[in-house]
Amino acid sequence: MNDTIIELKGLTKRYGYGDTESFALKDFDLTIKRGEFIMIMGPSGCGKTTLLNIIGLLDRATSGEYTLNGKNVASISSARQARLRAKKIGFIFQNFNLIEDLSILENVALPLVYVNRPRTVRLKNASQALERFHLQEREYYLPGQLSGGQQQRVAIARAIVSDPEIILADEPTGNLDSHASNIVMEELKAIHEEGNTIIMVTHNPALTVYATRVINMLDGHIDTDVKTVADQNLPQPIDVKIKKRSKRTKSSKTNKSNKRRKH
Amino acid sequence: MALLFRTHLRLAKTSIKENRTRSFLTCLGIAIGIASIILILSLTGSISRLISEEISDVGADLIVVRPSTNKDTVTNLVEELTSSSDYSKSNLDVADIASIAKIEDVDAVAPVAISSNTVTDDDNTVASATILGTTTDFISINPLTLRYGAFITDKNKENSIVVGHLLSLLLFNTSNPVGRTLTFHGQRFIVVGVLEEVEDTINFNNVDFNNALIIDIDVLSTLMSSIQIQQINVKVSATSALETVSNSIREVLTTNHSGDTNFSVAYGEAITHPAGSLLSIISGMLSVVAGVSLVVGGIGVMNIMLVSVAERTHEIGIRKAVGASSQNILMQFMLESLILSILGGLLGIVLGYIMAFLVSIITPFTPYISLEIIAITLSTSIAVGILFGTYPAIKAATKNPIDSLKHYR
Repeated sequence: MNDTIIELKGLTKRYGYGDTESFALKDFDLTIKRGEFIMIMGPSGCGKTTLLNIIGLLDRATSGEYTLNGKNVASISSARQARLRAKKIGFIFQNFNLIEDLSILENVALPLVYVNRPRTVRLKNASQALERFHLQEREYYLPGQLSGGQQQRVAIARAIVSDPEIILADEPTGNLDSHASNIVMEELKAIHEEGNTIIMVTHNPALTVYATRVINMLDGHIDTDVKTVADQNLPQPIDVKIKKRSKRTKSSKTNKSNKRRKH
Repeated sequence: MALLFRTHLRLAKTSIKENRTRSFLTCLGIAIGIASIILILSLTGSISRLISEEISDVGADLIVVRPSTNKDTVTNLVEELTSSSDYSKSNLDVADIASIAKIEDVDAVAPVAISSNTVTDDDNTVASATILGTTTDFISINPLTLRYGAFITDKNKENSIVVGHLLSLLLFNTSNPVGRTLTFHGQRFIVVGVLEEVEDTINFNNVDFNNALIIDIDVLSTLMSSIQIQQINVKVSATSALETVSNSIREVLTTNHSGDTNFSVAYGEAITHPAGSLLSIISGMLSVVAGVSLVVGGIGVMNIMLVSVAERTHEIGIRKAVGASSQNILMQFMLESLILSILGGLLGIVLGYIMAFLVSIITPFTPYISLEIIAITLSTSIAVGILFGTYPAIKAATKNPIDSLKHYR
């Protein structure tokens, strides 16, 4: 569980030229290991979302190196990058970003469209993912007919439907009340415990209790980078450690898929 | 790939269904263009089919000589259009007929000289009846049948006349006027025969036989100061002789006309073509109009696809974020415009044939339906779909996912 999944070296993202030149990321180095739950915090405009977009292959850095699963991203064609987004990366957005004209079920099945799964398989997998978030009775609703919290759970279902390795969440609780936020965070925690790597941008310091590592960004570089109590590699109160460990062994990555099917 | 294609097909269907009115209007734009093409093709097709059917009735051993000033030049066609006379000036004369008749392997020669004059019998008068001057060979070349009496023969050709069915009714109030007399240009003629009613008034002679009088060409030329020979029909003894005979005709006529090749010699399928030089101008012009309306329809498709792409920018962003490549997006929008134009094409084919049938009610045309025409128009509409769908699809495919995600309706 300790192998590196993402490695960023000297990553720079520049916007504008000349006098309007500004840097969203400046000489950014970061190494992320498989199974980490990273929270990225920092003031507006410090480059959090840009970082997330670059990691999610939606954006390209101006310079620097990004290695995903040991492969330099610059050498991957855009069509293959799209395939990677569909297979390995799940996105969760602040404003849910569901397609209004499609039913909940079809929204969740969307990533599977682009990895060439037959329709029946897509809908079956999507239905299973929705069941996990207790939304199976709303499969044929349109996104507009659901509450914010429900919509975000649909978005999380969409993010995990193709069994990705990395979940990228951009302020997933930003539009939600505290009750809905808690539900969403519990879901993310459960996903993390199945072995997924989660990188989440947030403004809410209270949420850092879920993270294994908290990164504070400032002006395009890392200000502080701390491992939290939730990280099992750190010395921590014994009861917490045992609790975590037992949970971890139950739901290690090997039986992750089985567990999801059972739900 | 096939799976993705099916998915995109369903997506396009949903999108078209959701904007039903908009899609219908866009399709209508294409449909009008396609319908006019169908109308033109089915009508011109019906005319040339009628003529070629008639030629096969006549037999494959027919050569037609027609006058032409300068074949197929634009000025000639315009002249023909703007000339005030009903029948174009002919370069063929009676001497040519005799020359052709002398050629080896020629069985029969029948000129078609058209004139028009007022015809009277004791009771009735018909102003400007069509008078066809020809030879006694005419009946052996053309598939005309006589209802009563007989055709003009060499013995009685001086004062005999054959009457068309409708003209006989108009002049004599009877369908069997054999033996009665009529007068035109101061000369009296005895009716020796009446033609059977002809159903299709379109034929390669360009004569409406129902309303025509047929007399000997020599008689006609003595009555009228100058006659116009519209064409000369030549029957050869065997189809194998067609080419040699038509070459001989060319030679003989060129000599007769002191070197001018101001005539055309045609046999087989080629006979049908000059029959509609006017027709081909009209259908050409209509095709241009249809082409323009098709381009307008195509611009309509492009316009609506651009609107659709703009409206769905957010959706494009989401699709790209969850794994759609640019090619996927391109295919999705390309298929949508293709479906729009194909639907328009199908609608146009139906509309076009309805229009053709309506036209056939008031004209002697019968709409000509062939797989070829349907294939041509369908592939035209597919081409329009591709041509005008490419730009919006490329625009959709090259959208930046991050900007698209920030975009709201």
